[in-house]
Amino acid sequence: MTSLTNNTTKPAAQSPQMMTGAVNVKMIGKYKVVVERSKCISAASCVAIAPQVFDLDEENLARVISQDGNDDDTKLLAAQSCPTAAIIVTDTETGDQVWPPK
Amino acid sequence: MPNTPQVMTAKLSDREVLNPKFTQFRFELVKPNKIVFQAGQYVSMSVDPAGHRRSYSILSSPDNDHGFELFIDVEPHGMGVQFLENLQFGDTVSVLAPMGQFVVKSTDPQVPLVFVASGSGVVPFKSMLYDQLQKHGETRRMSLYWGLRHEADMCWTDDLKELVARHPNVTFHPVISRAMPEWPLCHGRVTDCLTVHDVDVTAEYYVCGNQQMILDTISVLVARGVPESSILYEKFY
Repeated sequence: MTSLTNNTTKPAAQSPQMMTGAVNVKMIGKYKVVVERSKCISAASCVAIAPQVFDLDEENLARVISQDGNDDDTKLLAAQSCPTAAIIVTDTETGDQVWPPK
Repeated sequence: MPNTPQVMTAKLSDREVLNPKFTQFRFELVKPNKIVFQAGQYVSMSVDPAGHRRSYSILSSPDNDHGFELFIDVEPHGMGVQFLENLQFGDTVSVLAPMGQFVVKSTDPQVPLVFVASGSGVVPFKSMLYDQLQKHGETRRMSLYWGLRHEADMCWTDDLKELVARHPNVTFHPVISRAMPEWPLCHGRVTDCLTVHDVDVTAEYYVCGNQQMILDTISVLVARGVPESSILYEKFY
């Protein structure tokens, strides 16, 4: 059973950065998410899936509270679950838009 | 507080074409084998390998926890409908569930509930109706206004007639916008119906439909004295 809101399998990242360990070098937090507020319908699917990245503001619209609270896979899933595709995911390494597909 | 969504696998176990507009699907859970949700919540279904998902409200009530039913307007024939229609019995789907916060707020059965829907917006309300009847029996008054374009779009007629006959606390108002002259009930839109019917300002109102329908319904209800804080809505199409 996979819980999507308490992903503790990856270290919390402070910002897109290189983590240097004794064994390998691992890039974490390369996805940047942006909410297009005009498209948000307050379904809150993003908040349910990635609550450390998204919450609802005083207008009940989604906003980004942290780029690093959940891992990239969870951020992408949160974006893909948005019924109005209001969340844009960009790969900060390549500059490519990951979601929605262009 | 709604439950945390999980990735779930389910297989198609039944499909019933109710009429040319609406098809009902039944999925049995494979992994996990149980879903805990609140009436009004939805599933987010993966509908292609690229990652596109579609959100569908759960039609079944929460006591039916080994699967879920969906009720789909197939007329748009978009990506989600094509995916669902191409499924064979036994095919599996991946969903995130339960999702959403559109659930009955008041637990006090003295607070009446009024559900206002157009088209497939009725789905969360069918789940809520049966769930509330299980929880509160006949102590809670509930009304369902369901707007459809044509009489031929109507479904579950016998079920809803039986529901109203068995439970005097439930009223049902089908509203047909392009009804034939002989249609005996409300003609027009749900807002027309709400304009002329008695409106209980102590009730909680739940609205589900397209954006314009929601705005129009809120406008009518507020004009008739319903506090805006008592109007909850879900727009999905």
